[in-house]
Amino acid sequence: MAATPEDLFVPASGTAPPALAELRFGALGVGQLKPLSADPALLFAEIEARVQAAAQLLEFAPVVLDLSALQPLPAAPAVRALLDAVHAAGLRPVGLASADEATAALARELDLPLFAKFRAQREVAAAIVVAAQSAVEPAREPVPTEVAARAPGQHHAEPVRSGQRLYARGTDLTVAAMVGHGAEVIADGSIHLYGVLRGRALAGARGDASARIYCQNFQAELIAIAGQYRVFEEPAADLHGHAVQAWLEGDKLMVAALH
Amino acid sequence: MAEIIVVTSGKGGVGKTTTSASVAVGLARRGKRVVVIDFDVGLRNLDLIMGCERRVVYDFVNVIQGECTLKQALIKDKRLDNLFVLAASQTRDKDALTKEGVEGVLNGLKEMDFEYIVCDSPAGIEKGAFLAMYFADRAVVVVNPEVSSVRDSDRILGLLASKTRHAETGERVVAQHLLLTRYNPERVVRGDMMSIADVQEILGLDVLGVVPESDTVLAGSNAGTPVILDPASQAGQAYDDAVARLLGESVPMRFTDALKKGFLTRLFGG
Repeated sequence: MAATPEDLFVPASGTAPPALAELRFGALGVGQLKPLSADPALLFAEIEARVQAAAQLLEFAPVVLDLSALQPLPAAPAVRALLDAVHAAGLRPVGLASADEATAALARELDLPLFAKFRAQREVAAAIVVAAQSAVEPAREPVPTEVAARAPGQHHAEPVRSGQRLYARGTDLTVAAMVGHGAEVIADGSIHLYGVLRGRALAGARGDASARIYCQNFQAELIAIAGQYRVFEEPAADLHGHAVQAWLEGDKLMVAALH
Repeated sequence: MAEIIVVTSGKGGVGKTTTSASVAVGLARRGKRVVVIDFDVGLRNLDLIMGCERRVVYDFVNVIQGECTLKQALIKDKRLDNLFVLAASQTRDKDALTKEGVEGVLNGLKEMDFEYIVCDSPAGIEKGAFLAMYFADRAVVVVNPEVSSVRDSDRILGLLASKTRHAETGERVVAQHLLLTRYNPERVVRGDMMSIADVQEILGLDVLGVVPESDTVLAGSNAGTPVILDPASQAGQAYDDAVARLLGESVPMRFTDALKKGFLTRLFGG
């Protein structure tokens, strides 16, 4: 049990035929989607099922398309069809992962940004990757101002019961009710709980080590910040039932009563 | 307009069918037109508790599959003529139930001017339990004073808040009632059973009623007489109180005794 972003992805249920695409999330919260089939209809069905299975996590999630598994590389109209399928299935394709010159050319043709950070897995010669990186650099520079915009926190007023999972993507989470045994509250930012916490709370789910957990009445099974977790097998005498906050000091997860 | 009440719990063996039978009888005794449906396809029990097992000709699945009319499948109670039972099929499995089929039967019952439709849910959270709760207006969640039952009830309460028709359309919420059964005040005092307060605190809900553990429940089940019909039984009286509260009456709690120290308090030193 760790709070790495990969763990948050819930695969499509059932014993369906082998997956037609791979989907993983990195530290930025932008997904990398690697289609293993060039058929838009198949891709749509696959992704739609996954989005349905975890709508809270995946709906409208930004993804970068990694075409490295498709041989030969599809032409621009075929890639456009794939992008439309991904969009229709509920994800939001924002660009292509760069692997080689051909993908870079494709990106230019489709007028799509190229993401060098999301290196496609079949990396060719290092020289080409470097070239691709330098090609995007000018475009990346003016962006940062927008990142500073503050995402509104997510608020929840109903009890979070056993088996339920609440996820605040890219922001803080406030719950003004109890979190039951076996329930999970997860946020990319901090978590604020004004009811009893008996289940699990995972803050900084995408690696934000400055995230904190505040809780009015602490009886948790497990808490985690940026993947550092602590299990409370026995009720902690000095914390149980008290108002508590948790934060990271380096790699160490600190938990202390609030006075 | 009929109100659909699901009796559910998640965990098995906590008293769902006993509760369904007694709630249905209690409502009918107060003059309401009531039908109680067994959703436990393949493990038919409600007919035994209601004492009509030898009169089951057609069942719920027969109606869904169009093999008989709803009227043919309804079994009239021998004691109360405004109470009917729709039995489950013993020879099919839960896949015989479909959302459309269940909705069709419920709509048919509404057209027959029933005031209350009580749905006896199977244990678990699979198809049968899902369909039993899906169309509900209210839920009676049966819970025993022990940790696994309380946790399963918590799960069910979460599903009621998200996986029902009312939750999906967002028109209204399914009213949730907690019914604590097999309660033994002496064992609570000894500290080996959870108290009413413990259960209410963990689930964040007040109880609709508390039914004491009683031999009369088993005796009634075996005789095909719902325990609510036994005037000497404390469990029967507690069920009658719960039905009164379900109808909005204010009735004080009985048979619960004053409690000194609960299970959690003992465990964690409160």
